[in-house]
Amino acid sequence: MSAVPDTLAVNAEPAPEPEIRLVVGLDELAEAARVLREAGARFITMHLAGRPVRSLMAAFALRGRLVALRAPLNGEPAVYPSLGAWWPAARWPEQELAERHGLVALGREHTRSLTRPDADVVEHVVRGPDVFAIPYGPVRSGVFEAIQFLIETGGEDVPRLHTRAYFKHRGMERRSVGMSVDQGSYVAERVAGIASVAYAIAYAQAVERALGAEPPPRAQRWRAVYAELERIANHVDVIAKEAETAALFVGQARFQIHKENILRLQAAFTGSRFARGAVVPGGVRADGRVDLDELLRVLDAFEKDLRRDRRLFVRTASMTDRLVGSGRLERATLDEYAAVGPLARGSGLGVDCRHERPYGSYRHLGPEVVTEEAGDAMARVDVRFGEIGESIRILRQAIDQLRRRDGRLRCDVPAASGAAYGWAEAPQGELLVWVEVQDGRVANVHIASPSLRNWALFDLAFPSDVLTDFAFVEHSFGLTPAGSDR
Amino acid sequence: MLEWVMRGLRRGRVTTGYPHADEEPFWGFRGHVDVLDATGAEPALERVCPTGAIAVGGDHRLRLDRGRCILCGACVEAAPRRFGFHPTYETAARRRGALVVGAIDGEDPAPVRDTLAQRVRALRRSVHVRHVDAGSDGSEEWEIQALWNPHYDAQRLGVFLTAAPRHADVLLVTGGVTEPMRGPLERTWEVMPEPKALVAVGTDACSGGLAAATGAVAGGVDRVLAVDVYVPGSPPGPIAILHGVLLAVGVLEREAVP
Repeated sequence: MSAVPDTLAVNAEPAPEPEIRLVVGLDELAEAARVLREAGARFITMHLAGRPVRSLMAAFALRGRLVALRAPLNGEPAVYPSLGAWWPAARWPEQELAERHGLVALGREHTRSLTRPDADVVEHVVRGPDVFAIPYGPVRSGVFEAIQFLIETGGEDVPRLHTRAYFKHRGMERRSVGMSVDQGSYVAERVAGIASVAYAIAYAQAVERALGAEPPPRAQRWRAVYAELERIANHVDVIAKEAETAALFVGQARFQIHKENILRLQAAFTGSRFARGAVVPGGVRADGRVDLDELLRVLDAFEKDLRRDRRLFVRTASMTDRLVGSGRLERATLDEYAAVGPLARGSGLGVDCRHERPYGSYRHLGPEVVTEEAGDAMARVDVRFGEIGESIRILRQAIDQLRRRDGRLRCDVPAASGAAYGWAEAPQGELLVWVEVQDGRVANVHIASPSLRNWALFDLAFPSDVLTDFAFVEHSFGLTPAGSDR
Repeated sequence: MLEWVMRGLRRGRVTTGYPHADEEPFWGFRGHVDVLDATGAEPALERVCPTGAIAVGGDHRLRLDRGRCILCGACVEAAPRRFGFHPTYETAARRRGALVVGAIDGEDPAPVRDTLAQRVRALRRSVHVRHVDAGSDGSEEWEIQALWNPHYDAQRLGVFLTAAPRHADVLLVTGGVTEPMRGPLERTWEVMPEPKALVAVGTDACSGGLAAATGAVAGGVDRVLAVDVYVPGSPPGPIAILHGVLLAVGVLEREAVP
């Protein structure tokens, strides 16, 4: 309990390790958060919980622990002192709570609507000669997910950018309510389809932690295999898109071939190119169907190919010229907004929950955190290249352990009740899922997606860039609106 | 730059021969679900499916709506004697009714087929495709993007991607149509010149999929616009999408096997 300051520790209630759950009054929530921030905590999310009583919860990462503040809402008018007023990371969660649940944070500035986007509203904030506003999206040029960027520009520079998310809100959190915990995983893996495995793992771990189940090691290893393959596919996808934007066509084709091969490998393992249905609460459905030696051969060839392609990529001036210095974000800004994933790691913030709060096989596989210091699009691409190498290393280890076909693939998950957080490092960054279970049925779900947290920073990523850098910076973020909008 | 070119040449050809040559899915690929035995089913089987794709009639006959199926495999796990994954890539159909397996399909497929063929006659040799995301989970976008990667290379078939709806002949729509996307989707379709065809890509676009029950989506593209080809799948693979596009413009005639 020494992880949290003593003043807070007195009100602890039981929670599965390494979570610390503290009960505070609604009016003390902001003060408690301030104490945590001073102790070095990183903000993750705020949401409503239904058990044991209706509460407002705020989650933080602090020195290898997950600290949750729970403030019961005793039927009182739901107002609380704002965190977002002094902690930018909390702004969007507070806005979401206000719009979706009528929970009002006192003392924060009024901001635009977050959850009700309107494609036709064009705002003007910047004044000056020749300044105009471009609403880019939600129907994008090319095959991209729906999101809108309101860009105000005088022609070249981008004095203001405003990201409008939520065009794709499908109500996936409330969808799983009432489902069995097994069925809930079908919903989880369809929240952000390109990170199906990470969402399924985070959800499954929340259920397992809530009900006190521990999946067998063999299942944990398979989860790591699917998760790392998914990470590789996502990172390669970002690099291919950067090459496409720079009209580096052979480079684009090369990375697209790599990505397709990884998706096919995933499909050969699980029957699905996105490994859907592979991860379930309690473990995994089946052993992967690929011969492990075959997988090793594919990995060896891929690593060799990728090493060469990377070397060429960083030597191609028409490519790197567009990335170096583009979309630069200072470490302090990322820290304030509690950025996660390759975005944070590209500015030297070593945020990676596989390392911070190791789960499953990562407790033994020892993932290294890859960071770069420059904070620009190039640094984010470098982080991705580095992480692919790290993923291959983890895969080799996991494969080695999987050769001994020992132990079970799935443990029993009791049809009991409970509530807990689960997490996974998605390719986009740290993903946190809160699940409440009542007699084996899902009662409440909250998803804190890395994409929602990182989009907030996109508005700040154009201090010295021009309009033609836009696509490079967007791809370097590598986010998915499906995840942020849920 | 020369080095990139050399590297590309050294790699050789990876492109599929589809549709001129068959592309065989490997064993275990989840193309779509087949009903192996439709008779004597218990009504309780309906509850196995999270999207309500399974219906058991009064005569205890099973019906499976592939337009709602998200390929989760819950039914295959619960009743392996009745359901099985069929490894196929060609899953698209021109009528929504054709996606329902086990139902007596009273509709004559000829009028729909002939009207579409009449309409798109001019598109057969070369089409420009535009995409709108109306609330997908993001994976359908990956699979559509893959159509222009070296493995599938849709350009060899005269299928090109365009950003301008005014240049587009075929509209690919993903997702079950969320409220904020309804207007942009309708306007995109409106400004496309005739002749044009609309392809619903993915189970979400066919029926709303899992999200249909939340009320946040319209429950399929055909609630908003008339759909010419349905490509079920969660997500459908690149060849399934290509099958749908070629079906829409009349290059291919064969639909999903019931």
